[in-house]
Amino acid sequence: MSGNWRRLAAALTVLASVTALLRWLAVSNAGTVSTSYLLVVLVVAATSRLLVAIVTSIAAMLCLNFFFLPPIGNLTIAEPHNWVALFAFLAVSLVASHLSAVAHARTEEAVGRRDELARLFDLSRDVLMMTDSPEALAVLARSVARRFDLDFVAMALPHKDDWNVFEAGTGHLDLDRRDLSKALASAQASLEFDAHARTYAGHRTMTVAGRDIRLVPLRVGTKPIGILAAAGRPVEAGTLDALAGVVAIAIERAQFLEERKASELTRQSEQLKTALLASLGHDLRTPLTAIRVAAGNIVAPGLTPGDRAGQSELILTEVERLTRLFENTLDMARIDAGAVATESRRTHPSEIVAAARDQVEHTLAGNRVTVSIDKDEPVRLDPRLTASALAHLLENAAQYTPAGSPIDVDVRMSGEGLLLAVRDHGPGIAPADLPHVFERFYRGSSAKARASGTGMGLWIVRGLLAVEQGRVWAENCPDGGARFTIVVPAAMKDVS
Amino acid sequence: MRILLVDDEVAIQRAVGPLLRSRGYEVDVAGSGAEALDSFEGRTPDLVVLDLGLPDLEGTEVCRRIRAKSPLPIIVLSARSAERDKVNALDLGADDYVTKPFGPEELLARIRVALRRVGAEEPTDTGTFRAGDLTIDYDRRRVLRDDTEMRLTPKEFELLSLLVRNHDRVLTHRAILKAVWGPNAVEQPEHLWTLVAQLRKKIEPDPGAPKYLVSEPWVGYRFVTGGRDSTD
Repeated sequence: MSGNWRRLAAALTVLASVTALLRWLAVSNAGTVSTSYLLVVLVVAATSRLLVAIVTSIAAMLCLNFFFLPPIGNLTIAEPHNWVALFAFLAVSLVASHLSAVAHARTEEAVGRRDELARLFDLSRDVLMMTDSPEALAVLARSVARRFDLDFVAMALPHKDDWNVFEAGTGHLDLDRRDLSKALASAQASLEFDAHARTYAGHRTMTVAGRDIRLVPLRVGTKPIGILAAAGRPVEAGTLDALAGVVAIAIERAQFLEERKASELTRQSEQLKTALLASLGHDLRTPLTAIRVAAGNIVAPGLTPGDRAGQSELILTEVERLTRLFENTLDMARIDAGAVATESRRTHPSEIVAAARDQVEHTLAGNRVTVSIDKDEPVRLDPRLTASALAHLLENAAQYTPAGSPIDVDVRMSGEGLLLAVRDHGPGIAPADLPHVFERFYRGSSAKARASGTGMGLWIVRGLLAVEQGRVWAENCPDGGARFTIVVPAAMKDVS
Repeated sequence: MRILLVDDEVAIQRAVGPLLRSRGYEVDVAGSGAEALDSFEGRTPDLVVLDLGLPDLEGTEVCRRIRAKSPLPIIVLSARSAERDKVNALDLGADDYVTKPFGPEELLARIRVALRRVGAEEPTDTGTFRAGDLTIDYDRRRVLRDDTEMRLTPKEFELLSLLVRNHDRVLTHRAILKAVWGPNAVEQPEHLWTLVAQLRKKIEPDPGAPKYLVSEPWVGYRFVTGGRDSTD
């Protein structure tokens, strides 16, 4: 309203200035004066509302009468033809005002349409960018509120006997569930196109806490799947319908993405189970067979004492292998369940290396391990997890390199923490395998045919390091062999 | 008797090697398909024990190559998860299989049966064949159980003589279907099930617990001479 008052004041000021100018120039020809006034009225009509233009027209007519038509200084008119001039002026200026106002309104409408279209377009883009997060629908409601500058937006979706409502905007409004149900029921009962509003009928309003909320059915095709509630900036019914259409598609898409994610998860867990069974099956079979046969051999006649000792040693080795497999499976389950806890203690790096070597003594028996420790000063970290991770790396190095080849362990402090590197002198990692070596049950393309190795070890290393907030990486050395490095955050000072 | 043991797992080599030696066999060990083929050429074993999971060659391929050169018995070691490989190996000419994990007696019994088949005269389709209380008279196409003649249809007789000719050896479903019904029938095991059931009713003392016509689940059938648990 204040805008109209300001415009009216401006229009009247311009009128007064023109009047003063004409008086000062001593213009007395009624034709010249009325043309000048008409110009003022047209400018006003083009830039403001019809009402302002009409008031300006009447004021101009009065000025014309008062200042320029004899008797001057009076609102009476002496000569009859001046009456004609006066009313002709009023009629022309009113018609011109009206035409100008209509043109003005059309422009505004076009601008408004363009604006709503731009908003719809932006919203569609938001919908396309939507991910499969569980928050998707809440995010969608926020997008609608933001794109359409609405104070309140709610998407109400029927869920069993109740409604799931996703709200956004500046305030919370309690939607009446019964009204929602009624709106949806009427939208389901009939589909009627309202030619005047260029929209499907079925729009309703609901009043909550003194605010009018507009309800629009959310339709996918013509089928209503819920209700969109909006309050705040007035939005044209047709636009609201289009908006509801976009939102309905978005909801369908979100539900589809959610279903797809669920089925993807099921598939992954199935795959994991299959891989686990295959891996366990393979790795249990050999030791079990060897133990069974060797146990029979020990008591069988016809074996030399040396043979018997060999058989008993074989049994121990294979039991060791089974134990390791069992421990790995257990570690894996613990990591999966998030049941690995860290416990930092003051420890010497050499103790960690010794503990790790001890854990995989049997596997390492065929390799020469060289350890170089930069500074064997106490550090504070979880020695158990770190040693376990290192043990897996040592085991991996021993399994995937020729028997008897050397393995180098390098330990030093780095900016990130304690760094432990295991370098072997085997064939290295095939470039195609490098990105996958830490994946669960992944076995290198050349390792698949090998009997030992479960594809669990490196995955466990990664899991343990994640608990310790450290990291692990693999690389091929320029002069041959693979190097696995782990870094564990560790404090060297304040170790007490 | 010389046995070639092919398995890339050192643990199996170390356990099964002494087992076989302690029973008086000479043993050569090979850890890969290539080694196995070399050893087969150079040392002419009497029997091959072949693991199907080898690092270099498919076990079935090794089986095929050995069979192409020699009729010696091949016993396949396999995992339960590698059912198809096992059947393939049998179709390619392997004589028998043992599933890991196996016990020592299981392997030894299979080896004995396989070697005995080689030692025995090649079974022919003439004369008579005896197993337990069964007598098969090829010349007159008659089957007697305890001197009572069992009336067999021509197909039943064909199936029985096929299995008896390969007694103590596994024949895969596929191989039997092909031999009795022809190559177009290999995908129709129903024929075989029906015929085996009929045959069992006639020759088995207790068709519910067959002692001659023994099923090898998912693999095939075996005609067992003198009961399946017999040891020499």
